[in-house]
Amino acid sequence: MASVTAQPGSPLAQAMRDIRRQAGTYQGVWSWIATVDHKRIGLMYGVTAFTFFLAGGIEALVIRLQLAAPNGNVVGADQFNRLFTMHGTTMIFLVVMPLSAAFFNLLIPLMIGARDVAFPRLNAFSYWVFLAGGIFMNVSFFTGGNIFKGELGAPDGGWFGYAPLTLNAFSPGHGIDYWAFGLQILGVASMASGFNFIVTILNMRAPGMTLFKMPLFVWMTLVTSFLIVFAMPVIAVALFELLFARLYDATFFTTAAGGTPLLWQHMFWLFGHPEVYILILPAMGIVSEVLPTFSRKPLFGYPFVVFSGIAIGFMSWGVWAHHMYTVGLGPVANSAFGISTILIAVPTGVKIFNWMGTLWGGSIRMNTSLLFSVGFIAMFTIGGLTGVTHSMVPSDYQQQDTYYIVAHFHQVLFGGAILALFSGIYYWFPKFTGRLLSERLGQVHFWLTLIGFNLTFQPMMILGLLGMPRRIYSYSDGMGWDVWNMIATTGAFMIAASILVFMYNVVVSLRSKEEAGADPWDARTLEWTIPSPPPPYNFAEIPTVRHLDDFWHRKYAENEEGQLVPVVAGGANGEHASDGHGIHMPSPSVFPLIAAIGFPLLAFGFIYDYALVAVGAVFLLFGLYGWALEPATEEGEEGAH
Amino acid sequence: MQKARPTANSLVGTRTGSMRRLLGAALLLGIVALLSGCDAFGGPQNTFAPGGDVAEKQRNLFLLVAVLGAIIGLAVFAVLLYTMVHFRQRSPDDPPPKQVHGNQRAELIWTILPAILMIGLAFPTVEGIIDLGRDPKDDALKVDVTALRFAWQFEYADYLKDDGTPLKVDAELHIPVDQEISVTLHSVDVIHSFAVPKLAGHLDVVPNRSNRMWFNATALGTYSGQCMEFCGIDHANMKFQVIAQTPEDFDAWIQEQLDAANAGAPPAPPEQPAGE
Repeated sequence: MASVTAQPGSPLAQAMRDIRRQAGTYQGVWSWIATVDHKRIGLMYGVTAFTFFLAGGIEALVIRLQLAAPNGNVVGADQFNRLFTMHGTTMIFLVVMPLSAAFFNLLIPLMIGARDVAFPRLNAFSYWVFLAGGIFMNVSFFTGGNIFKGELGAPDGGWFGYAPLTLNAFSPGHGIDYWAFGLQILGVASMASGFNFIVTILNMRAPGMTLFKMPLFVWMTLVTSFLIVFAMPVIAVALFELLFARLYDATFFTTAAGGTPLLWQHMFWLFGHPEVYILILPAMGIVSEVLPTFSRKPLFGYPFVVFSGIAIGFMSWGVWAHHMYTVGLGPVANSAFGISTILIAVPTGVKIFNWMGTLWGGSIRMNTSLLFSVGFIAMFTIGGLTGVTHSMVPSDYQQQDTYYIVAHFHQVLFGGAILALFSGIYYWFPKFTGRLLSERLGQVHFWLTLIGFNLTFQPMMILGLLGMPRRIYSYSDGMGWDVWNMIATTGAFMIAASILVFMYNVVVSLRSKEEAGADPWDARTLEWTIPSPPPPYNFAEIPTVRHLDDFWHRKYAENEEGQLVPVVAGGANGEHASDGHGIHMPSPSVFPLIAAIGFPLLAFGFIYDYALVAVGAVFLLFGLYGWALEPATEEGEEGAH
Repeated sequence: MQKARPTANSLVGTRTGSMRRLLGAALLLGIVALLSGCDAFGGPQNTFAPGGDVAEKQRNLFLLVAVLGAIIGLAVFAVLLYTMVHFRQRSPDDPPPKQVHGNQRAELIWTILPAILMIGLAFPTVEGIIDLGRDPKDDALKVDVTALRFAWQFEYADYLKDDGTPLKVDAELHIPVDQEISVTLHSVDVIHSFAVPKLAGHLDVVPNRSNRMWFNATALGTYSGQCMEFCGIDHANMKFQVIAQTPEDFDAWIQEQLDAANAGAPPAPPEQPAGE
């Protein structure tokens, strides 16, 4: 392929030019295909991740039905193993991470006063690769035979895929191949997006916005992006080793040939623990924006919250072996990781206290967004405290791989991340749709979620302490687990009901005629200075920033007693002098999509037939080539950026 | 959360609120009491009812941090609830609150105090790790445990058959009460985890790695154990029993097993000791 060059007159160059021109003329749905607008990409991330959320949720409901009573027979052991593997993988890689990415995309340029991210086409590429990876992973359900007879082909090694169980000897079929290739593809998307946001945040801030005038959400995005670009390569190496073992009989994890299974665990958790913070830090950023707005007070101790976030970022690299207390690393290693796990609780606790300090003394507006954020604080406190119990290593020997762990990390990932993400959805929905979500339905959604969540996961804590292991498809009666499992299943369906209420809310609210306006919450950050939904160019005039929470300070001044005084002629400047004419925006492009299509084809090729590898490579190279040769501005247009 | 009340009489509002909460707590306690009546807090793998020193130590450590955590958690919840009720906006025309940007002293206190508390927790943790990780006593009964998909085998290195190989049994590990047991774990295939919740927490069974742990039973009885590391399709059914007997009964059982093995006959199904 390297010999192919696109001479100006060659057919290849002509084809690329045609594709490029075509992309510029797309209308309607098609314009989304070629979009490089961060807001559209953010919305696509959100909708796609929510769709996977429904898929992962249905998997969870089947799991809960199976375990509702002893000796369940809703599904068999084989299907059950595939369902919990896909539930975990989906919720982590296809739901919480991309939902966070949706918020990054929607908000970061607006919050820092920029017109787009640093690399708009790379951003589109991230999305399409994520979508390709997500679809590829889920295609595996259909490749195991007749799905209507329960013959699923999905991976069955758990989301953690411990070797040697994942080797061909113990996991024949292609399920694990789909899992490993799928995660590799998703890793490409995450890496690209991580670099993009690091560069965007460091380089594209509006004049005057120093690092310590950035909204907290931007800080947390920055820390998360660094974690992503350092953590994803670790699992990429582990997955390559696994794939080489499965495809070409490499012996990294094969004891008979001198390999070691624990190598996988070290690499997986060296990725896996920073990953936990990749999932939770954006949520913490969202809450840190919502609470000040609705208590009408600045975030309490902004520098402490920033530095504790950075501290968490660093410390998350030193706790991975707390997932491995029971593998027999010995007292020294267990003590070291026990203590580091104890210590990481401190910056997390600091954040909780600071959020409460933000609410304290405020004028708290009780709406759905705030309730979800407060729910986050409460549930995440339980998550954090149960996390501390894990640092008591000898006690953790009992809880490792029981439902206690399942309860703990759902406290963190559902009670934490998902509640905060919902808080963010209610908060920023009006900004991107121009419509407020219904408060009445929102409150129903919140209380159903909170009660359902507690009914589902608090009993699991007790189940774990009663010795119920994770990942068992069935249990006999007489174990003392029946009542708690039944409660948990009831709670799970309550959560499902709450999600239906939320979906109904979105549909109803989108149809409503009532306009939200530019600044419905009397909010603090730059995104509220522009109309809802924002124009493609975001800011007609790039703002100049003087304060942390700059918009708030344009509206209100503070006297010496800390009392607010409205600023005359302050407030939303949604109506700009300029109509955006003459602002140069990046041209639409379909080359990121073309390149992204190459990845699943490559993976199919390695699994089934090398001919497909060639097809995938053509897509990938053609996409990247066309992308690289695309001019920054279209011919004939005077380049002004 | 309470809806904003039109009256400014927040004192009354809070009082009825706390009454309601008290009622709620009483109701919850009632449910808990009811559930415990029907064996909801029992079961053969209940870590709160240890039958040996290791599990007891683990339970005590858990209770220590759980009670501490519950106190902290309830305090956080109480403050949060108070904040939400007391500082809620009663009308959109409420005057804006005082703008507090932070308080360095408060923040230092709530950074350093938890840090000290956490470091305090490190001491019992490390002590526990060292105690549970120590070598077994010299008089410990040595058992080699082999895990394979999806079964458990136990070999008594101290009791040899006529052909010189150790006595080997399936699925049921008999042990003498009040004597330390030293188990060495072997896997022939994937990673498993050896767990008898009432006697001791887990230790993984890793291929090519002989993990070792000690535990004992301080009460006679049958203890339920099962694999706690996902190992494939029949993971859920990879169970075993540990039967703690008096030393006399244990010796008799060993003799019976040895005789049966030496005669080439399958060993008789073991008797179940009564009760736990």
